[in-house]
Amino acid sequence: MSATTAPAAAPPPFANEPVLELRRAPARQGLLDALAELDATLPVRAPVIVGGDRREGEQLVSTDPGKPDRVVALAALATPADVDAAVAAAERGRRAWAAAPAARRAQALLGAAGWMRERRRTLAALAVRECAKPWHEADADVCEAIDFLEFYARGALALEGGGRLFQVPGERNELTYRPRGVVGVVAPWNFPLAIPLGMVAAGLAVGNAAILKPAEQAPGCGAMVVEALLAGGVPPDVVALLPGEGDVGAALVRHPGVQTIAFTGSGPVGLEILRVAGEVPPGGRHLKRVVAEMGGKNCVIVDADADLDDVVPGLVSSAFDYAGQKCSAASRILVHEAIHDALLERLAGAVAVLEVGQAGTFGTDVPAVIEAEAQERVRRYAAMAERDGRIAAVAEGELPGEGWFCTPTVAADLPRDHPVLHEEIFGPLLAVEAVRDVEDACDRVDELPFALTGGLYARNPHTVERVVQRSPVGNLYVNRPITGAMVGRQPFGGNRLSGTGTKAGGPDYLLHFVEPQVVTENTLRHGLVI
Amino acid sequence: MVTAPTEQDIREVGIALAQAFPSGRAHPFKALDDKAMDLASQDAQLKAALFRFVDVVPACRSLDDLARHLSGFLTEVDEPPPPLEAAMRMSSSRAGRTALGAAAARGVRHMAHRFIVGESPQAALGILEGLWKRGVASSVDLLGEATVTTAEADRYATRCADALETVARAARSWPPRELLEHDAQGPLPRANLSVKVSALTPLLRPDAPERGQRDALPRLRQLLRRAKALDAHLHIDMESFDSREAITDLVLALLREDEFRDGPSTGVVLQAYLRDSPELLDRILDSIRATPRTTPLVVRLVKGAYWDHEVVDARQHGWEPPVFEVKRDSDRNFEALSRRLLEARPDVRVAIASHNLRSVAHAVAANRALGGGDADLELQVLRGLGDPLQEALAANGLRVRTYCPVGDLVSGMAYLVRRLLENTSNDSFLADQAKGVALDELLAAP
Repeated sequence: MSATTAPAAAPPPFANEPVLELRRAPARQGLLDALAELDATLPVRAPVIVGGDRREGEQLVSTDPGKPDRVVALAALATPADVDAAVAAAERGRRAWAAAPAARRAQALLGAAGWMRERRRTLAALAVRECAKPWHEADADVCEAIDFLEFYARGALALEGGGRLFQVPGERNELTYRPRGVVGVVAPWNFPLAIPLGMVAAGLAVGNAAILKPAEQAPGCGAMVVEALLAGGVPPDVVALLPGEGDVGAALVRHPGVQTIAFTGSGPVGLEILRVAGEVPPGGRHLKRVVAEMGGKNCVIVDADADLDDVVPGLVSSAFDYAGQKCSAASRILVHEAIHDALLERLAGAVAVLEVGQAGTFGTDVPAVIEAEAQERVRRYAAMAERDGRIAAVAEGELPGEGWFCTPTVAADLPRDHPVLHEEIFGPLLAVEAVRDVEDACDRVDELPFALTGGLYARNPHTVERVVQRSPVGNLYVNRPITGAMVGRQPFGGNRLSGTGTKAGGPDYLLHFVEPQVVTENTLRHGLVI
Repeated sequence: MVTAPTEQDIREVGIALAQAFPSGRAHPFKALDDKAMDLASQDAQLKAALFRFVDVVPACRSLDDLARHLSGFLTEVDEPPPPLEAAMRMSSSRAGRTALGAAAARGVRHMAHRFIVGESPQAALGILEGLWKRGVASSVDLLGEATVTTAEADRYATRCADALETVARAARSWPPRELLEHDAQGPLPRANLSVKVSALTPLLRPDAPERGQRDALPRLRQLLRRAKALDAHLHIDMESFDSREAITDLVLALLREDEFRDGPSTGVVLQAYLRDSPELLDRILDSIRATPRTTPLVVRLVKGAYWDHEVVDARQHGWEPPVFEVKRDSDRNFEALSRRLLEARPDVRVAIASHNLRSVAHAVAANRALGGGDADLELQVLRGLGDPLQEALAANGLRVRTYCPVGDLVSGMAYLVRRLLENTSNDSFLADQAKGVALDELLAAP
């Protein structure tokens, strides 16, 4: 038997990629060494990659948010012609890819995971520099990217067997899942490796071709995503990279040759994608499907019986890790009036000692926000909170002189209809409100159009049950921080205007990238069941 | 090793201790008229329900609220035993809930008082003096809520300074107890306080130990000065592995400072359940030998109190746990470290803190095999858990020090729950002892 025809051994059961044990000094030193090495080679290049051809350029520049004169990546800018070429290549490449056994595709994804594992420190260092992700967050981003590859590879193997249908004598019914075609991925910068890779890998795993438009703030990380897949064995005409601004994403979304759009980003852009996808373009032969993950206004409810020793660190981490720039971050605390003052006092003290600093320095609690515009936005909302309510706490240390830093801030006493309580700020600004009881808190959560994540600190099981029933959010966390969803453990995604209700890293995510087909064959011939 | 005690030596010490256990109190919970704990040891769901209840007691705002929590936890038990079914029936009316809440609160307070010696150091003085007179030394531990702010760190430091003052002043009038006050290396302070670095700073970060060290350092330095001025002993507790590096580096750095070369008497903790504890001991010994002290460092050897936390935390992250996963491995390591510590004298003083009769007997026998006097080894127990062993050790003329937590119910709850967990754990020595496992088996080599 030749080696090429031997069936690949089934991969072992899925397990999350362990994050580095950063409480040990040698693990920390390994990352600092990788950062020094990366710094010596900056800037990295993010070419347009279509059909395996790379075209470098310098029209798009990403810089270190904590030190904006440090250039991290130089990217080529994709043109409308590049978009057409990428779709054409994908259209050519996708047929053979779709026809290949799932094991072949899984092997490529697992190969990409191996490629990333070998470079995990360098990749984390790149996320530190390009997106100001603090070390443990950057490392977790690499791990999540690897998790998506491993998880969807296994998911595709399982899906290849098809679905189960009722069978009766004389007919054979088969349900199988086929790839939809070409997936356009429009990705964010806040999980610069994991989210783009997750969306691309989901499309590829089930036999689609995928074209990635990375966030303009993070083309360097976007390039690593595509390099990993190519190195892992994904054919060059099945995956493409189109660095660029919003117009490149818009062209991809509109393109008649793109059947599925996977998007993670802001609400307005998501709604526009859904609108455009609803119009069948001239020459279009598909209803475009949109998998969208949008904004949130995530609330944490704290009941009177909560243990503040757990609550305070949990809230600080949920609201201020990565400067509040996670989709899942906490932005409103709804606390029972009986413990409101005690909580606010301790929270204020805990926020006062937060250290704002460079992402690459161990011990930094809050890094820079992604860009000047974000810094300006956070400051605008903080000023509104000060004008219409009260600033209950700020981090007391000095901000670094350069870079897009914001002071971590806690606001209180805001009017119920205040923009700080209703609009997504995406920065280190947290609002605290006193509520009469948990029902009052649930009412306030229910008034919001968003429903991404939520939290509850309460110890009476009846209270937990009640809040679970009333909560509209996609991911509810009880007695723990509300960020840090793990692939396979906390499939992630929001409801209402927060998204299409799809769960990345969950057992049914791949179903959004396939079309089911049912074949029914008559097996009765002259009374003989054949 | 030539200096290792023989199994026969260890058995003899163990039997002598076992014979000195106060009768009818072989197990601390036999003295507790608390059937709930007995029930809890047998049923995992019930245990979870009762512990969640104990844990939430200080956060409940009324007796009614207490009863609602209790019934809430009990509904999650599949087969509640009859007394608890009665409790749940009571919780359906307001009057019933008030009565149930009152009874439950009484029960929890009763339990807490077995483990916590007083609400304040002042209030604890009577018990501390009583212990001293019976030949038992003490170390006071101030229970408290977690430190998340600078104000809380300052407050804890102030409480510690006040406790040193209060206990040191009171201890001056205690009667002489030679065994508790001297060993071959010199005098031993009467006042003894255990402190937690995690309470001295809100900035302990596992991935940035320097931050917490920097912040805790001035407060710990003040406490060392205070202890030195009062001739009291200051013992720095060890906590979970996340803070191990920060605490070790901080304490060793402070002890190298010139002003602390000649005091106060200071101690650190070595956790034998950590796989790398032998290397940590090397570090400690290297450090103190490089800068000799007039008062030797006390090393308290413990098994370690955060085993469940360490294992769960490591599993959730996909790491190899830093602790031995098999209890026998911890026990064996404990004995090996005991012998190493005893041999490291006079650079250190040795305190063996365990309720395991075998571990204790081994240390006593090893000390004797090395030619040490009984006064040159200290044994330590926890208030409430180690009371019978404490009596037996004192009766055998051995120096015993009891770790005495001080605090109110709110701040003491986390400590209480940990102790109760330890006490109802199925593979604990105390559980074996309570089950009536034969002495031979209890004293067998791990």
